[in-house]
Amino acid sequence: MGVIVLQLFAVPEGKSGPQVIDILTKRVTSLGGVLSGSFMVDCETYTSVASLGATRSVHLLHNSETPASVFALLEAASGNKTVALVADNLFDLLMLKLSNFYQAKKQTKIESRGPRFEAGDFLVKLGSVTMGPAFKGILVEVEYQACSLPAACWDLIREFMQGFLGGCVPSTPPQYIQNRFGDMLGPIDGINQYLEQFNAFRKTTGIR
Amino acid sequence: MEDFFTNNSVCVSVEAPAENLVQEIAYDGQEVFQLPLTLSENLTKQAHKIDWIIREDDENDDDTLSATVTTEKDVEEESKKADFQTSSWPWDSVRNKLRSALTEVCVLADVLVIAKDKRYMVLDPVQQEQPDQRQLAQLFSKKRGLTAAANILLHGAERLKISQSDTARAKSNQDFHLELLRLRQSWTLKKIGNSILGDLSYKSAGSRFYQTGIFEVTKSEDPNLGLSTETTSENQPKQSMIKVTIPTELGGTSYIQVTIQKDQDILCTTNLNLLHTSLIHSDHSLDANPWTSKLEAAQNVLFCKELFSQLAREAVQLQAAIPHMVVGNQITASLFPGIQLSIHFQSSYSAGVNKRQLVSNSTSLVAKVDHNYILEHSLHQLLRQVHLNNVGQPVPHPSSAPLGPTKRRRLAGPHAYDRDELLLMTKNESILEQIIRQGQHVVLRLRTMFVIDSIAREIRDPLIISHWNVLNSPTLSCVKIIIMTHGYDTLQRTALVVHVGEKTLKCVCRDGRVLHMSYEPQELRDLILCQISQHQINAVQSLARFLGWHVASSSAHLGLGPVEPLGNASSCILSSPSGNRILSVRCGPQAAQPQVYLSTYPRHDTVKNKVLKDMRWEQLNTRYEEVRLEKIEGRNFLSRMELLMASLTCRPPMSWE
Repeated sequence: MGVIVLQLFAVPEGKSGPQVIDILTKRVTSLGGVLSGSFMVDCETYTSVASLGATRSVHLLHNSETPASVFALLEAASGNKTVALVADNLFDLLMLKLSNFYQAKKQTKIESRGPRFEAGDFLVKLGSVTMGPAFKGILVEVEYQACSLPAACWDLIREFMQGFLGGCVPSTPPQYIQNRFGDMLGPIDGINQYLEQFNAFRKTTGIR
Repeated sequence: MEDFFTNNSVCVSVEAPAENLVQEIAYDGQEVFQLPLTLSENLTKQAHKIDWIIREDDENDDDTLSATVTTEKDVEEESKKADFQTSSWPWDSVRNKLRSALTEVCVLADVLVIAKDKRYMVLDPVQQEQPDQRQLAQLFSKKRGLTAAANILLHGAERLKISQSDTARAKSNQDFHLELLRLRQSWTLKKIGNSILGDLSYKSAGSRFYQTGIFEVTKSEDPNLGLSTETTSENQPKQSMIKVTIPTELGGTSYIQVTIQKDQDILCTTNLNLLHTSLIHSDHSLDANPWTSKLEAAQNVLFCKELFSQLAREAVQLQAAIPHMVVGNQITASLFPGIQLSIHFQSSYSAGVNKRQLVSNSTSLVAKVDHNYILEHSLHQLLRQVHLNNVGQPVPHPSSAPLGPTKRRRLAGPHAYDRDELLLMTKNESILEQIIRQGQHVVLRLRTMFVIDSIAREIRDPLIISHWNVLNSPTLSCVKIIIMTHGYDTLQRTALVVHVGEKTLKCVCRDGRVLHMSYEPQELRDLILCQISQHQINAVQSLARFLGWHVASSSAHLGLGPVEPLGNASSCILSSPSGNRILSVRCGPQAAQPQVYLSTYPRHDTVKNKVLKDMRWEQLNTRYEEVRLEKIEGRNFLSRMELLMASLTCRPPMSWE
């Protein structure tokens, strides 16, 4: 129950992914972060078969922070909003049963994986995004667990993030957070941001 | 041949009597005779009687005897022929028979006439042959028959005797079955071989205790039936046909006793073997059946044994800061330093021995056994909860969901619980831990009550009112403490809420401060004293505003003056409406009463001299002088202050005109 902000960290030229993670790890630990395990967020996509009409995709995301849940996001048909569902782990099996209607696209399974740090009320996750064997980029997630309202804590989060990420953090919140600045956020909002980022990663070839 | 026939076989065809048969007798005595058969009727009747084929053979027997012996074929031919012959003149044999019959009858008539004459023929009776005199056999057969009959009768008589005279025995048999039926309504019984066994354990409710509670039901020998209906005094148990045998280790009665003690009492109570009064008496008049109390007591013993063995196992397994002690029938766990929770398993099995000990112990000092019934009940409930969890599976909604997970686990998915919450769900607390927590809460609650009550007793000036919440859990209670002054409760009320947990107190003050305190009672006491002192100052400020005085300054945590041993002093400075009086009030947590100082102006001791010419120097305040509050009339501090302020409110002095 906190505000989750995702930040893309551009990989500087000449450095590899693990090197960048190392650098960021050092910065976070110097800020007082304590390593507490690792995390993983992954996304699978299922598309509907042609017989159902217009093709829509369902994205199934798992987050190691909420190991008992599966997040299913149905892509917006034109004009509608994305439908989000938080379900138990058995939902994966349900999707297998729906293989006649929604088929999995294994090639586009994308995941973000890396170490997890706790610094007081902050949770910092440095994730390297990979799609299959290919490395796509670095995604940093910061969660401020003490507050669920972005309007109340955006400044604090920004300051904290700028402390170890430097100038790449914009002063204005990301579009997703801006749209929901006065609302209470939950785990599903973090997942939505992940989906946006993953979609952007899918579209680009090479490292972002 | 004819001789043969006439001597040995008398062919007499008897005709119908001349007398006609009486068909009916009319009501007036007249007899209505059956009319004799007409000739044709008679003839047909006779013809029906004749067996045509045999008679025909017999007629031809003399002539064709050899022929019949030799071949059947001839006989067939003969019969065919006879048939053929008879068909041509069917009445031939009839005529022959009739003629022979006539001959016979004539001869008989002649013989009878001659015999009647008695001249040539006399009829003499013939001596019948005596049959063999088999008397003995007859006797025996008669005797046998008679004995058989007699046996049947005797048997029947016996049965009647049994059913009539021995009604009591029949009833007793009936009683046994009736009682067995009643027993079966409350307890599970099985018939194994010849014996009836029952089960009084909690296995069907989910218990996994190793001890089986099997009891045996038998017919009781020699009950005093005659006495049962007459002497049913209160103390005498009702007689029953059923004898219930319970296993020896479940005999007697037992209970679990939970006490919370301070250190010094430990030595006394470990040797204590006092029996609770409920162990000795048993209210028979209430029991409909004498076996009920016996079985229930045995079941209770089993339950207590299971509970105690579970607790003992957990006590040995759990790692606590101060290890739990398990000695014999007693488990000792420490709740707080110096306070112990002890759980005894009391059993009255060897009642005789204990009674003796009871006599000797009653003279010893610690005679009062401090049962904590609530904790005992809690223990029972906790074990029952364990049983329920063993048996019951929560029904999933929707019903197609898997059966295993609990409701909370099922909700964890859709609610996106994170890892910490999931981990919390998996933690299972043992019974001993739970009862220790409850015991700690009991102690803490009692302490808090004691602290609040003692402060309320000591300090009368602001009144301390405490409201305890009605709804609370075994591990959490809340109390709202209100500090107010009598008569000025609308003016100022200081409220604080104290949440009493197991080892900590959480205090939420009205201004939003949340304080976490430990189990030491002194901390709460200090807090309340500080709150009281702040209340006094706040109340004085409100009173001042009410009376028109101005609050010149106030400070909740004063940095001036002597250092308070506890907390901080608070003070305020009030000035009168006209401005010529200044009151300074200071209140510290340890002080019994606030201190009030007054300063007035103009200074009377200003010496008019060449330097201080101006009027304004006279308007400086004098030194502060202490006001002796105890001399002022008033019920409490605030009323005295009110009186003081009211009396000090006066028109400005005219001295500076």
